Amino acid sequence: MFNRKLEEVVVTATRSERKLSNVAVPVTLIQQKTIRQSGSLRLPDILAEQTGLFITQSFGKGVQMQGLSADYTMILLDGEPLIGRTGGVLDLSRITVGNIKKIEIVKGPSSSLYGSEALAGVINIITDRSNARKLLADIRYGRFNTLDASLNGSTRIGKLSLGAFVNSNSSEGYSLRPNAVQKTVEPFWRLTSQVNIGYDFSERTHFNLTTRYNYEIIQNSITVQNLGSLVLSKGKENNRDLNITPTFSHRFNDKLKTTFRGYLSRFNAVQSLAVKDQKTDYDDQFKQAFYRLENQTDISFSDNHMLNVGGGYIQEYVQSNRYDSLQTKRSNQVGYFFLQDEWRPLKKLSLIAGLRFDANSAYASVWSPKLALQYRVTEKLRINASIGRGFKAPDFRQLYLNFTNIAAGSYSVFGSLVARDEVLRLQASGQIDNILPVFEKLTDLKPETSTGLNIGAQYDPSEKIKTRINFFRNDISNLILTDVIAFKTNGGQIFSYFNISRAYTQGLETEASWQLHKSFNLAGGYQFLITEDKDVLDAIDAGKMYKRDEQTGISSLLARKEYAGLPGRSKHMINLKLFFESPSRQWFATARAIYRSRFGTADIDGNGVINRDDEFADGYMQLNVSGGRNFARGIRIMAGVDNVLNYTDPENMPGMPGYNWYLTLSLDFGKLKSK
Amino acid sequence: MKTVKVLSFFFLLFSIGIFSCSKDNNTSAPTTPLVTKSVSDLVADTILGIAASGQPYGAGKYTFFSLENNAVVPSSDSATNKWDIAFRGTSIITNSGNSGPGNGGGFVFTGLFDDLKTIPADSTFKTDNAPSSYAITAGSNRGWYIYNAPVNLITPIPGRVLVVRTATGKYAKVEILNYYKGGVTPAATASDDDKLRKQRFFTFRFLFQPDGSKVF
Repeated sequence: MFNRKLEEVVVTATRSERKLSNVAVPVTLIQQKTIRQSGSLRLPDILAEQTGLFITQSFGKGVQMQGLSADYTMILLDGEPLIGRTGGVLDLSRITVGNIKKIEIVKGPSSSLYGSEALAGVINIITDRSNARKLLADIRYGRFNTLDASLNGSTRIGKLSLGAFVNSNSSEGYSLRPNAVQKTVEPFWRLTSQVNIGYDFSERTHFNLTTRYNYEIIQNSITVQNLGSLVLSKGKENNRDLNITPTFSHRFNDKLKTTFRGYLSRFNAVQSLAVKDQKTDYDDQFKQAFYRLENQTDISFSDNHMLNVGGGYIQEYVQSNRYDSLQTKRSNQVGYFFLQDEWRPLKKLSLIAGLRFDANSAYASVWSPKLALQYRVTEKLRINASIGRGFKAPDFRQLYLNFTNIAAGSYSVFGSLVARDEVLRLQASGQIDNILPVFEKLTDLKPETSTGLNIGAQYDPSEKIKTRINFFRNDISNLILTDVIAFKTNGGQIFSYFNISRAYTQGLETEASWQLHKSFNLAGGYQFLITEDKDVLDAIDAGKMYKRDEQTGISSLLARKEYAGLPGRSKHMINLKLFFESPSRQWFATARAIYRSRFGTADIDGNGVINRDDEFADGYMQLNVSGGRNFARGIRIMAGVDNVLNYTDPENMPGMPGYNWYLTLSLDFGKLKSK
Repeated sequence: MKTVKVLSFFFLLFSIGIFSCSKDNNTSAPTTPLVTKSVSDLVADTILGIAASGQPYGAGKYTFFSLENNAVVPSSDSATNKWDIAFRGTSIITNSGNSGPGNGGGFVFTGLFDDLKTIPADSTFKTDNAPSSYAITAGSNRGWYIYNAPVNLITPIPGRVLVVRTATGKYAKVEILNYYKGGVTPAATASDDDKLRKQRFFTFRFLFQPDGSKVF
């Protein structure tokens, strides 16, 4: 938040380094200093405090951006996509912020540069790869026996630079329901290690190899009611991910630079459950592999005209006993190219046109265009507008899932490519009661697509005050949802996936920061959001959407104004953050408040939509405070309390424990020695 | 209970209103005013206990009802034409097919009770063929109700009307209003025990057309 004298540079918006103020699309930049002073540990901690972002809790912690679900935001680590989504969600808790240099958040469709998943936007986590000689250690202890320790070092030997980072994060978890056997969050341990090797062949030629390994173990104790008695099962969940990223770049001259990037990523998840008094354990395995080779070439025709061209090939595999058997390897190949032309025809005007083509083996090909412009009205006022298409390819789950839940109503979910055969197989063995007409509509899934519009302005009346406003609208079509295709003779439903839904999200986001005083910085943000399912709107307009009076039980027509839109979305989200740093920089303190208004949770009156007051979770405010002191010799002590107001909502916000205190000790060994 | 009575009175007035309207429009007007009747807490095989499987169980008996007489029919008359529909848990049968000797049947209509003034000519009345199919389609989100698993509650789907052909071949329309005792659905946060003990009490309203026409 401080020291804005140096122009901030971002890479994610255009895949090349640009000054933040010159970028024509909405970008939020979070600096390491803000992350550290806020006392964040894992990625969701810091994202939760950003305007317009909300951390969702289903299959781990995901992020809702511009009102779109976690499935639709691409998560990049140093520019490479992280894999290992469960139920469409990549658990952001897997990512430590201990070695993050900065986080760049680009809002609006960015598939023209990044392809599938970059529908709502892109979050790029940029790790610290500086090659300065350093050795830093952090250790933190907090409530729920949370222990987090990191060691981060780097050095340079001639042309070779080396960096290593290791982080251990563990907690005993917590219970929001004291009487439940199962904890709300079970004990876990996570280990992250990253090694970075760089070599400069010359001033112009660089090679870099980054290896990251992440290990996670989560205890599980599940109680299942079986034959009238509670059966306690003990188990564990084990997630491992490995990323290897070799990068080779060469600058031919001032006008031409080319970069080759390889990316190998593997994600391996195993859930095992040992049921008491039963010999067979329940095992669930999921293995994913993602290999990519890519080239990007940047050409500067002049200072006012730049071109980025690139292309690559992706080979992806999944093996899981959720899909058939572990032996069956499902694969997908993607070939793609992209082009981006950045042109400044006038001193005040920048134009960007981008286009990407993705050809896939498992689903239809996609073109993703994008247009953006920036007009600098004055030094202080800039206007931005962009329109683009985003897409999300059907994932392996939607294509190949073969899952039957024996415990809860014996329902089954089959991926769209296997559903026909599975239903016919069940029918042949007399297990099908009836097949619904929609079964005949089973077809190859199309990618989910969106068109996103962003129009905004940045106005900085003085060095000390910065303001930003952005209007957004995303129209999403071909949304993939499950629908019932058949009923089993035992009453169980069979679901499969269809491109059946259309929705939109629109809103206004505004942010301001004000350097009140040498030592105080005040920042605030607000997002107003409306989201609606277009098919529900059509049904309302056709007089086919009903509601039920809570008192009388009598049905009547639902009006448009009673329809509250998509569940899990708050109409209003506000944040207000105060940062203090003493002139000597010895002391620092922060206070950050986040508010979100009520949000729909689940339909209760049977019409499938959120319309009644009892279908909402309450709005709430979370207040986090932190403070610390930098001592001589690189010693720093910090303390903080998250959720000071101790707000909890076990039903709807299980990932939110009550207040959460912590103490952190940081050491900079370089300074320790030098004095 | 009081509200139900007040409501019945209200429906009475309302039905008279409809009747006057249709008379003005000079369609095939009934000779006597039709009255929407309300039934509260009709016991439908209420829960006796929780089985070893964890599933609740009742005595397994249907409660038979005559729409024509607005009265519960003793189960000893189950093999007669005296009843039109019967309730057992979420299962609703009609006096048709293999459920009874009557000439009954029915289907689930999507729309509002009050808006259903004439049974559409192209409607198909189904008959019971237990246990595989019923005139009033069984199952969550298939017929008249939806089972909300996360909160363990059963809710009638809004905008569903049971169109019933009675045992004697006359027509009636029925709207299920609630599945819980006193016509009040327990709160989502209520205990599972509470939710189980209070379920299988039907509150519904119906309009019976005695002249055999499909016009209400």
